[in-house]
Amino acid sequence: MPDDAAPIDLFEHAACGLLLTDVSGNILRCNATLRAWLGYTGEDLAARRFPDLLTIGARVFHQTHLIPLLNMQESVAEVALDVRHRDGHTLPMLVNIARRRHGGEVLQEVAMMIVADRHKYEQELLKTRAELRDANERLSGADRAKDEFLATLAHELRNPLAPMHNVLQILAALKLPEPRVEWCLNILERQVGQMTHLVDDLLEISRIAEGKVVLRRESCELRAIVQAAVEAARPLIEAAGHSFSMTVTETPVWLDADPTRLIQVLQNLLNNAAKYTPQGGKIELIAGWEDSLAVIRIRDNGMGIAPHYLTRIFEKFSQVESARDRAQGGLGIGLALVRGLVELHGGTVQALSEGLGHGSEFVVRLPAFQKIQKAAPLAAAAGLERPRKILVVDDNVDIVESIAMLLEMRGHDVQTACDGETAIAQARGFGPEVVLLDIGLPDMDGYAVARAMRGEPWGKTLLLVAVTGWGQRQDKAAAAEAGFDHHLTKPLSLADLTRILG
Amino acid sequence: MTVQKRNNVQVAGSGARTLMFAHGFGCDQNMWRLMAPAYEARFKTIRFDLVGSGGSDLKAYDPKKYDSLHGYADDIIEIIDEFADGPVIFIGHSVSATIGMLAAIKAPERFGPQVMVGPSPCYINDGDYMGGFSRPDIDGLLETMDRNYLGWSSNMAPAIMGAPDQPELGVELTNSFCRTDPDIARHFARVTFLSDHRADVPKMPHPALILQCSDDLIAPQTVGRFLHQHMPESVLTVIDNVGHCPHLSAPSASARAMDDFFVQMGL
Repeated sequence: MPDDAAPIDLFEHAACGLLLTDVSGNILRCNATLRAWLGYTGEDLAARRFPDLLTIGARVFHQTHLIPLLNMQESVAEVALDVRHRDGHTLPMLVNIARRRHGGEVLQEVAMMIVADRHKYEQELLKTRAELRDANERLSGADRAKDEFLATLAHELRNPLAPMHNVLQILAALKLPEPRVEWCLNILERQVGQMTHLVDDLLEISRIAEGKVVLRRESCELRAIVQAAVEAARPLIEAAGHSFSMTVTETPVWLDADPTRLIQVLQNLLNNAAKYTPQGGKIELIAGWEDSLAVIRIRDNGMGIAPHYLTRIFEKFSQVESARDRAQGGLGIGLALVRGLVELHGGTVQALSEGLGHGSEFVVRLPAFQKIQKAAPLAAAAGLERPRKILVVDDNVDIVESIAMLLEMRGHDVQTACDGETAIAQARGFGPEVVLLDIGLPDMDGYAVARAMRGEPWGKTLLLVAVTGWGQRQDKAAAAEAGFDHHLTKPLSLADLTRILG
Repeated sequence: MTVQKRNNVQVAGSGARTLMFAHGFGCDQNMWRLMAPAYEARFKTIRFDLVGSGGSDLKAYDPKKYDSLHGYADDIIEIIDEFADGPVIFIGHSVSATIGMLAAIKAPERFGPQVMVGPSPCYINDGDYMGGFSRPDIDGLLETMDRNYLGWSSNMAPAIMGAPDQPELGVELTNSFCRTDPDIARHFARVTFLSDHRADVPKMPHPALILQCSDDLIAPQTVGRFLHQHMPESVLTVIDNVGHCPHLSAPSASARAMDDFFVQMGL
């Protein structure tokens, strides 16, 4: 241990390189450590300026970043710079600079450390980051491709379902005397319904992922939405013998929302509650106003959710949901769809459960207000329409014929066509009041057919209905522009047709 | 999004004429805080951050728009429309001097005389033109930037901001000064140092003061002379300063040169 009073040559032989420069960077002193590291003698270095020691890239960084910082805050720390050895090779260094008054003059004290190993590690880190970014890009590319594939798949699966559904309605209407036929029809109807439901969910979830779902927002009242959802879910709840209670706040709560989508969300949650609660359970719905939000809680005393699944349960194709669903037949997308739709509304959805066997609660929170607004009527009531002359145009023969038969059974006079040319020619002779027109026809697109029909003398007052597989906004805009009065999405439902023809 | 929020526009001072201060590559409007206040008694002053720098809205950084200096020039015209009364006296440092020149060519009626602090229309050497840099030099800069922004993405304040002796300054500066997203900084560096606007120089529609430092790595004297030679109504003033930021290291000499120019311009 040296004597405290003895001078220690800490500057000259410090374990780091040390420099003293004026504010312009002219080197005034340099210690032996740095001289040795850089291959200089004292005389060499004293004639130079600090930036001269740096590579050009580091010099530019020094000028554009370090000088302003030094001027503003008098010091910089932990700056990584490449420093040039006298023989030309570069040394990665870490640099601290502080400005301090020495006598009458402000000088810069510079400490430098070689960080060769650390530099290698940083290079690794940067390389890994770049690789990670590439991998992420590839993954999201694959994810997009998957979403597109699913959307196409769901779309293609929907087409055959439409005529199947129509034929079932026809068979049911025929009321065949054989009792086993009714049993068969019930099964087929349920299964086709279930399949339609799955395909719709799949289509919906992939469209949310692709950002293609557009909300049709309007002012709507919470109570009306809740009631509609409960009505839709009631058959499932009652079939399972659950008791159901509902509490909705007295003061109206208004939402700027797409009522169809919100009903879908709540119905989905109620169906889940019914599905995952053993026969004869209890389901409760509480809707109200909390912290300036519309809050809907759906509780059951069913099988519950394990704590570590509570957040993952909303992930698309989550294994949790799949496992829960497997017994019931499902894709594990119901809750992902719920979350997607709620988030599109700017809301949140949360799952709560005390654990397996302790029931669950799903909480939906949505932006809302309590100001009184004029209510928009929900879907119009269905009823029997007056008989009309209807032309059905679609390139899928099964669809055309089944729709035609359904409409005929409701008393309409129906003709069919499978391409645009035929449709126009046929309409000239037939003089339809209504044309249901597929947009994707083999010879010309439906918009052209619509414009041609509107040009005919009988076409002015025609009720023109576009039917497409994709209910997108741009399709609707194009349909309106071509002269269509309505736009429907496949598969056509009897309710849609009744609404338009009513 | 408002222009104010996008560019973190700060208005101060009062006067019949408006001075607009634009920072260069590597920093933000704080660069002007030694100089701008001196003008607030006579002028209305506008300071702002280029999108991607300082307190600007990083979400507004559209790599396509800012893939050339014209994107920034368009922003400046929008800021003038919203915040200035009448033509502005534009004071641009480094790359912003070029951006100001491009904006003045696009919309001459919104500008008066300009002050270009350490300008360069082209940083890369090209034949007889000595911009001062080669392409590998710029790659070296990008590499240095990458290394010094390592901490950014983990939400640590970049280490370069450390101010060990002045923690009270450190807080403020750590959060605002020279800080930006590394990907944006990298792109901005590339756009800045690979830009070539030599062909625009003769189109400058207004008088300009070229404030040249005697010893500036980023904008060497050859570049100042090139600009003076090709810009119709330019005044070249060389001030004795080592470095690229005379407004920080030689604020009074810079202010004197500007004031002389303003007198010449009758301002």
